[in-house]
Amino acid sequence: MSRLEAKKPSLCKREPLTSERVRATLSVLKGIVTSCYGPSGRLKQLHNGLGGCVCTTSQSSALLANLSVTHPILKILTTAMQNHVSCFSDCGLFTAILCCNLIENVQRIGLTPTTVMKLNKHLLRLCISYLKSEVCGCRIPVDFSSTQILLCLVRSILTSKPACMLTRKEIDHVSALILRAFLLTIPENTEDHIILGKSIIVPLKGQRVIDSTVLPGILIEMSEVQFMKLLPVKKSGSLKVALFCASLSGDLSDTGEGTVVVSYGVSLENAVLDQLLNLGRQLVSDHVDLVMCQKVIHPSLKQFLSMHHVIAIDRVGVALMEPLSKVTGTRPIGSLGSVSPSTYGSVKDWCTAKFGFKHFFHLIPNEATVCSLLLCNRSDTAWDELKVTCQTALHVLQLTLKEPSVLLGGGCTETHLAAYIRHKTCNEPESILKDEGCTQTELQLITEAFCSALESLAGSLEHDGGEILTDLKYGHFWSIQADSPSIVNWSNLLSRCGCGLCNSQEELSWSFLRSTCHPFAPQTCLPHEAAGSANNLTLDCFTAKLNGLQVAVETANLILDLSYVIEDKN
Amino acid sequence: MVMACRVINKRRHMGLQQLSSFAETGRTFLGPVKSSKFIIDEECHESVLISSTVRLLESLDLTSAVGQLLSEAVRAQNNTYRTGTSTLLFLVGAWSSAAEECLHMGVPVSLIVSVMSEGLNSCIEEVVSLEVPVHHVFDHIDNTKTFSGLETFSVSLGPFLQIPSDTGLMQKEHDLKDVAPQPLTIHNLSGRPVKSPQLFRPQAKVEADTNTSQTPQTLKNSLLADTCCRKSVLIHSRHLNRTDNSQQISKPDGFLEQHGAATPQAYRCNDLVELEVGLSHGDDSSMKLVEAAAQLQYQNARMQQGSCAMPFMFDISRIFTCCLPGLPESFSCVCPGYITVVSTSSTTLIKELQNQPIRVVLIEGDLTENYRHLGFNKSANIKTVLESMKLPQDSSEELWINRVLEILIKFNVNLILAQGNVSEHLIEKCTHSKRLVIGSVNGNVMQAFAEASGAVQVAYITQVDENCVGNGVCVTFWRSIPLDVVDTVDGMAIMLKTEGINLVTVVLTSPVTAHMQSKEDRFWTCASRLCYALKEQKVFLGGGAVEFLCLSHLQILAEQSLSKGNQACSGWLHNTSSWLASSLALYRPTVLQCLANGWHKYLSTLIYNTANYSSEFEASTFIQHHLQNAIDSGSPSSYILSEYSKLNSGIFNSGISNKLGQIPRVYDIVTPKIEAWRRALDLVLLVLQTDSEIITGLGHTEINSQVPEGFLFL
Repeated sequence: MSRLEAKKPSLCKREPLTSERVRATLSVLKGIVTSCYGPSGRLKQLHNGLGGCVCTTSQSSALLANLSVTHPILKILTTAMQNHVSCFSDCGLFTAILCCNLIENVQRIGLTPTTVMKLNKHLLRLCISYLKSEVCGCRIPVDFSSTQILLCLVRSILTSKPACMLTRKEIDHVSALILRAFLLTIPENTEDHIILGKSIIVPLKGQRVIDSTVLPGILIEMSEVQFMKLLPVKKSGSLKVALFCASLSGDLSDTGEGTVVVSYGVSLENAVLDQLLNLGRQLVSDHVDLVMCQKVIHPSLKQFLSMHHVIAIDRVGVALMEPLSKVTGTRPIGSLGSVSPSTYGSVKDWCTAKFGFKHFFHLIPNEATVCSLLLCNRSDTAWDELKVTCQTALHVLQLTLKEPSVLLGGGCTETHLAAYIRHKTCNEPESILKDEGCTQTELQLITEAFCSALESLAGSLEHDGGEILTDLKYGHFWSIQADSPSIVNWSNLLSRCGCGLCNSQEELSWSFLRSTCHPFAPQTCLPHEAAGSANNLTLDCFTAKLNGLQVAVETANLILDLSYVIEDKN
Repeated sequence: MVMACRVINKRRHMGLQQLSSFAETGRTFLGPVKSSKFIIDEECHESVLISSTVRLLESLDLTSAVGQLLSEAVRAQNNTYRTGTSTLLFLVGAWSSAAEECLHMGVPVSLIVSVMSEGLNSCIEEVVSLEVPVHHVFDHIDNTKTFSGLETFSVSLGPFLQIPSDTGLMQKEHDLKDVAPQPLTIHNLSGRPVKSPQLFRPQAKVEADTNTSQTPQTLKNSLLADTCCRKSVLIHSRHLNRTDNSQQISKPDGFLEQHGAATPQAYRCNDLVELEVGLSHGDDSSMKLVEAAAQLQYQNARMQQGSCAMPFMFDISRIFTCCLPGLPESFSCVCPGYITVVSTSSTTLIKELQNQPIRVVLIEGDLTENYRHLGFNKSANIKTVLESMKLPQDSSEELWINRVLEILIKFNVNLILAQGNVSEHLIEKCTHSKRLVIGSVNGNVMQAFAEASGAVQVAYITQVDENCVGNGVCVTFWRSIPLDVVDTVDGMAIMLKTEGINLVTVVLTSPVTAHMQSKEDRFWTCASRLCYALKEQKVFLGGGAVEFLCLSHLQILAEQSLSKGNQACSGWLHNTSSWLASSLALYRPTVLQCLANGWHKYLSTLIYNTANYSSEFEASTFIQHHLQNAIDSGSPSSYILSEYSKLNSGIFNSGISNKLGQIPRVYDIVTPKIEAWRRALDLVLLVLQTDSEIITGLGHTEINSQVPEGFLFL
C-alpha cells in the first residue's frame, strides 16, 4: 500500500556565517584541530560512547574519518580537508587551521566578499610564486645522494605524531626503516619512467617497536598448521606461479536469484569439487610450483596440490593481490575454467619466517620493488597511529622524489612567508592595487588578516603557554617561556629556531609575533651556512604544504562567499 | 548523527584520576603473596574468585575510554608475555598520580612527557647491570640436583609462600630417572603417597578450608563461581581478611634479604633448579609442575636427537593443561602425551583399545555432516527434489555416518581427534564399532600428534587416504582413580601418546572448583617466566632489586640536575628548539622525583604485601633507609650487589642461613618486565596528553537525556 506524504518545504538560510550556531561550531572544530597540531599537540580520544574501540590520535586523517558534522559549512570544510589528505597524506591539520583562521580573521574586517576573494587569491598567488621561486628563503633542495635531509623529513613526520608513543631511539629506528622501505621500492634499472613499487605494512601488534623490520618481497601471514605443513621443496631456478582472485573454496557463490532445483542424488558440491580437481590437474600438468589464492582453497584441492608438490597458499587477501600480481608477473585468474598458460608468472624463491607469534610465507621476487614493512608497537591504538604515520611518511617521500624540495618546518615557513607577504604588499602595493582595483586600506586589512592567519597557525604549535617570537632577519619562528623577564637577554634564553636552522648566537633581533613591527624582507638562511646542525632539522613536505595552502585559501574563499544555504528537509 | 566533544582536563585531569582509581583495585596482586578477591554480581548473586590482574580487569566494568585503554594495555601485555600484568597495573596507578602531581606543580605537559619517558629509558639502561646471564642450565640436569632442593627452599622462603607451608611436604629423594619418558610414568610432584585412596577425600576437605583461608560462608560463595559466567561486574571492592596475610608469613623478609650466594661481580646462573626457585616467586607448586614439564621436554628432545645436536628450547606451546576440578591437589602431575576427559560410557572401549598401537586420523574442523571448511558459503536457494517415488531409506546424516565408518574401517582407524565439535550420533556409532572419537582438541595437541604419528590434518574425513593416517598411538586410562573420586569428575581421564611425541600434559587438580582458573593461570605464568628466562638467556636479580636500582638511579639523576643544571639533560626533548628545552633544567628534578615516587610506592606496596610490615609507612621507611645508604654509597648497583653478598655471609638472615647454608636468590625475567614498565608509562603519557574526548555517532535524544555537562557539539 502506498501512501502519499506532503513534501516539506525546503529551508533557506541567508548569510549562514553570521549565525551564532555556525560560529560556535566552527570555533569548536577549530579548537579541536588547533589543539592537535604539532609535536606537542594534544591527543583526542575518539570513541562511540558505547564501548567501541578507542582511538587516541592527533592526526587529521583519523580525526576527519571519524568526525560526523551536521552543518553544510562544516561539511565543505571537512570534505576539502579529506580530499587534500587523501591526495597528499600530510598537512591536513595545517590546511584546516589555516582555513579556520582565514575565515575568522576576514569576518572580523567586514569587507565585501568579492574584494576579500580577489585579494586572498592574489596573496595566495604571491605565496606560491615565492615558494616556487629560486630566491625562496624557506625551501631547501633535496640532494638524493645523501640520506640526511630525507631522514630529517621522515623524523619530523614521526615526531609530530605524539600518539605513536615512540622514544627518540625508536623514532630513529623507524625513520631508518621507512627510508629503507622507500628506497626498496625504487627500481634499479631506470629508463624514461620510474614506476615505484610498493611498501606493504604488515601488522605485528604487541611487540616492541625496536623489533620492527623491513624485508624485500612480500610476507603472507599464514596459520601455524599451514606453516608446519610446508615442506622445504627446494628447486633450482625460478618458480612458476598461478594467482587466483576467484574463490577456490568449492561453494556455489553466484547462483543468482530464484531457486535452483536439483534432483535427488545429484550433489552440486561434488560437481564443483570435480571441477576444482580438474583445475588442479591442469596446474600440475602445467608444472606450476606455487598456487596462491585471494580467497579460500578447498582442502581437497590443497591436498591434491601438495601431493603433487605444489605449494598452495590461500587467504592472501585483496590488499596483497595487486603487489603479488606485479612482482610475479601473473594475471589474476578469475574463473575455474581452463587456465591460459600466459597468466602464469614466476618468483625467484620463497622461505618461511616467524616473527612474534605470527608465521609468514616470504615470497622473494625476481626483481624486487616491493617490500614489507613489519611494524610493531605495544598497544593497538599506538599501532594504528604509527601505521598511518608510516604511510604518510612513505607518501611524502614519493612526493619529494617527484618534486625534490622540502620546506622548513617547525613554524618557520609560515612566519617567513608572512614576513615576505607583509613586506611585499607594503613596498610594492601598486601592481596589486592596479590589478585588483581595490584601495590601499583594503589591501592592508586583507594582508593583515592573511598574514596573521599564517602567524597564528605557526603559533598553534605552542601548547604549553609559551610565547612566540620571530627574528627580524630571516623571519623564522622562535619560542620562549611566557613572561620572560626582559628583552635584553633574549639571545641567552633562545637556542634554536623552530626548524633548527638558525641559532641564537648569531646577531639577531627579535620581536613578538603578534606585535606590530616594521615590515622587512626576510633573508635566506642557507643550509650550508649551518651545515653543522643540518642533521637535526625539522622539515615539511613541499608538495603537500603548497597544496594545503591553496586548498585552505580556496575553501575559505568559498565559505566566505556563501550567501544562502538551501536544505531539502524531505 | 551528532558528535560531541568533551574537554577532559581543564583543571583536574579526569583521565589520570580514572587511571589511578582503576589501578587501585589491583594493588593486592602485587608481589608473590596475592590476596584473592571476590567479585560479586549484586543482581544475580553470582561471584567469581580472582587472584590476577587479567581476571580482575575481565570482570570490571571498564566502559569508559580510559578504562578501555587500560584493559587493552593489560590484555596486550598478557597476550604477549603472560606475565607482568600486576606490575603494569600498579605502575599505571603510581605514575598517573605522579603525572597529576606534576600538573599540579605547573609543569608543562610536554615536559612531563619527555622527562618521564627519558627517565624511564635511563632506568632501563641502568638496570642492565643487574642482569644475570643464564647459560647451560640443562648441562647439569641429570646428576645431582633434585626437586627436594626446590622444596626446602620454598619452605624457608616464608614471605614468598602462597600456600601455607604444610601443604608442601618435604620430599627427601626424588629420583629423576622416573622422569624418563616411559609409558605411563606418573610424577607425583607434591610428594604425597598415592597409595591409599581412602585418605584423599576427607583430606581434601580439610585442605580446602585451610588453603583458601576464607570464612565458610565465603567458601560457599567461591564454589558458586564454578557455575557463574563472567558477566559479573565489580561495583564495590572490599578487602577481605587483609590482616591475615601476616599470619601466613613466617619470616619478616625485606626485598633485599632474600638473596645470597656469590660475590658481587660474579653473578651467573648455571643451574636449572636455582633458576626455577628464583623465578617461582613463591609459587612453588606451579613451578614444580613447570620444572617437571621442562624435564620431560628435555629428555624427549635428547631421545629424539640422539647426542644433543641442537640446543634445547623450552617450548611452552607444546605444554597442554588439563584441569580436573574436584580432585585433591595431590593428583596434580605432569605426564608425557595428551590427557583428556572422555565420557564414562567409553570405558569398555578404552579397555579394548588399551595395550595395542592404534591408527589415528586428525580432523581440522568439526566432524559433523553439515560442517564445511572456513570460507565456504552455503547457497540458500538450492532445493533438492525427488524425481521418482522411491524414498531414500536413510536420512542424509545416516548416509554420511555410514560413509565415515566405511572410511574408518577401510583404513583401520581406531582414533579420531577433531579440533571442533563431533556429531553425537557419530560418536555413538563409532563406539559401537570400537573407535574412539575425541572432539575439541587443542590445535597444538593436534600438531604434536601430527608430528609424532605421521598423520596429516585434514578438513574432511573424505580426504583421508593412507598418507593421512598416523600410527602407533596408545590409549590408556590416565590413572586408576578410585571410584569414589571419579564421581567428582564428570567423565574419566584418559591418556593418549605415541613414541617420542613432543607434548606434555600438565594435569591440574584442585578440590576447590573456584581455584581451578587461578591455578591454571599461575601455572602458565610460571611456565612463561621460565620460558623467557631460557630464551633470553638472562634474568634480573629479583625481589625488587631492579626497581630499587631504578628508584635510586632517578634520585641521583634528580639531585644531579639540581646541581648541574642544563648540561646533564641535553637531548632529552624531541623538539630541542622549543622554549621547553631551555626550561627543562628547571622542571626536570621535579618530574624525576615524581617518577621516582612511583617506584617508591611500588616497592613499599610490594614489601607490605609480602613481608609483615604492619603498615605501608613502615615499609616505606625501610626503603627510605636503604635508599639513603645506596645514594650515599655513590653507586647504587654495587650497593645492591654488596648487600646480596652480605646476606650470604649471614648478617641479616642468620635465622635462615644456619638452617640451610644457602639462601636461594630471587630472579625476574628481563624483557617482559621492562615492557610492562614501558606499557604502563606509555598509557599514562597517552592519557596525560589527551585533552578531549570525542564521542561519535550519538543521537540527539541520547545527549539531551544524558544531561551533558561540558559537552560541545559539532
